[in-house]
Amino acid sequence: MTATFHRYISAGILLIWGGVLTGFYFSGKIGSYLHPSFHLWTVLSGLTLLLMAVGMVMLPGTVNNAPQESVPQTPGPRSRLGKIFAALILIAPLLMATIVSPHQFGAALVANRGLATGIGDLPGYTPYVEPALPGEEGEPSTAQEASDFLPRTEEGLIKAQSVDLLYAAEEPTMRADFEDQDVELIGQYMPARANNAAGDRFDLVRMYVMCCAADARPVGVTIQTAQPQNLAEMSWVQVKGRATFPLVAGRRVPVIIASSVTPTEAPPESFVY
Amino acid sequence: MDGPWFTFSFGDFSYAFLSVLLEGVPFILLGTLMAGLIDQFLPSRLMVRYLPRNPFLGVCLSGAMGMVFPMCECGVVPVIRRLMAKGLPLSNAIAYMLAAPIVNPIVALSTYAAFRGQNAAEFTCLRLGVGYLVAVLAAMAVHHLPIASVMKKGILGLTNSEPTGGGTGAPLLRRLAAALRVAVADFLDVMIYFILGAAIASVFSTAINQEVILPLALNTWLATISLMGFAGILSLCSTSDAFIAATFIAFPGVAKLAFMVFGPMMDLKLLFIYSSVFKKRFVAGLALGLFVLIALICVRLSVLGI
Repeated sequence: MTATFHRYISAGILLIWGGVLTGFYFSGKIGSYLHPSFHLWTVLSGLTLLLMAVGMVMLPGTVNNAPQESVPQTPGPRSRLGKIFAALILIAPLLMATIVSPHQFGAALVANRGLATGIGDLPGYTPYVEPALPGEEGEPSTAQEASDFLPRTEEGLIKAQSVDLLYAAEEPTMRADFEDQDVELIGQYMPARANNAAGDRFDLVRMYVMCCAADARPVGVTIQTAQPQNLAEMSWVQVKGRATFPLVAGRRVPVIIASSVTPTEAPPESFVY
Repeated sequence: MDGPWFTFSFGDFSYAFLSVLLEGVPFILLGTLMAGLIDQFLPSRLMVRYLPRNPFLGVCLSGAMGMVFPMCECGVVPVIRRLMAKGLPLSNAIAYMLAAPIVNPIVALSTYAAFRGQNAAEFTCLRLGVGYLVAVLAAMAVHHLPIASVMKKGILGLTNSEPTGGGTGAPLLRRLAAALRVAVADFLDVMIYFILGAAIASVFSTAINQEVILPLALNTWLATISLMGFAGILSLCSTSDAFIAATFIAFPGVAKLAFMVFGPMMDLKLLFIYSSVFKKRFVAGLALGLFVLIALICVRLSVLGI
């Protein structure tokens, strides 16, 4: 009876974990939690856990009439109460987090982790080095040629990411592609804390991720608007405007002079990488 | 510093907690599946036959095994548990457990990539070298301890047991089924501790204002100790922590090195995962010993101008 109880409890826990992992993958929610390089591992693990759950119930050596010596010794709680408590730890936090998780961070996390406003604040950045002069066969590219390759909206605005603009602020060749160009960005609204006496500036925030949401670093681009915005903190907005790179305290920073700010849905890929 | 040093948000906590779980499960599952296969298919005493008889050489070899069998810190515990059941000495298991999450090709590549433009080759060599040295020293210290003072009672019984179920003469399907049961038992056992560790790590990583540690960057000792404490709280994966370390521009290089060596060996979630195998007193001693040893080595390295 105890062995049967233990086997079905174990299979049930595996089933729940496998269901959550595969569910997150097939619903697309996984994109709000993990870097794309982990997505495949997540679904494979989910499917493996589901198979293991079936195996626990079906395979020889795991069924009720198996010889007693085939039951492996396992450490952990021995009493039934202990096993139920362990099962609760294995299931309850996962289910609770799955139900209550807002699938994105709030303003408190941005305040606690700080906002990266320069590309040097981000992981994996290699400092800019002036390119060598072109050789006899090489021709220097022009800004116009480079910007032709940038993705554009139907209206002709450059589809920019906040990280692109941070790179552009640091690297002159890239800056030439964006400076004084009309751009469109999507991000989360956070009122600007500094240099915002008139209340007409806000930070457009995206989460820069290496592995999973737990290591996310908020990235912000300053948006200058004609009048103060009345939006909820960390709500998703689409900004259209002109990209500028003024000098602030000796370094270039991206500032978008917005022509429109409209609430929008979260994009399928909420992170930037 | 703007704002309070601690601001808890349940939404942020549950989101970070869930992401750590989703990221960690594949690695723990891989480790426990390997543990199940080791239990059923690795002949007993095989390792004893091939490992050097000299304990120091055995520890040195085990510390380098991550280069051939890379394992992350979440998945390595169930593996060493079953390897010990097959006769791997405790000190060798500790060397592999502490070194494998650092001394492996994946971490070498990610560290090199993360520190491009910041003496990447030097940082990569130092990380792997110091990680290996610390693992060997810790393992040699454990070598002199009685196993009963290190292992939990239930695990101690496992290390003296024969393969669970099946056995070498049993039909393949029965051995696979037994391997599955071992894998499931290990998975559930480790997951309990992983969940508790991930929950506590998520509270601290989302609620603490990270500007708290910035003023400490000016002093080498304080910077090293604070980044080690920070690594313990963040509980990052060893394959990606170098990318985070590289952003601590204000901190001296030795403090970043300490962050990258201490984190994969001991953090909040690992405290709990290790407790699934080792006695709590030993885990506490190991944490303290690693903290002091890594801090001393890294600060000493500052004379090299890192």
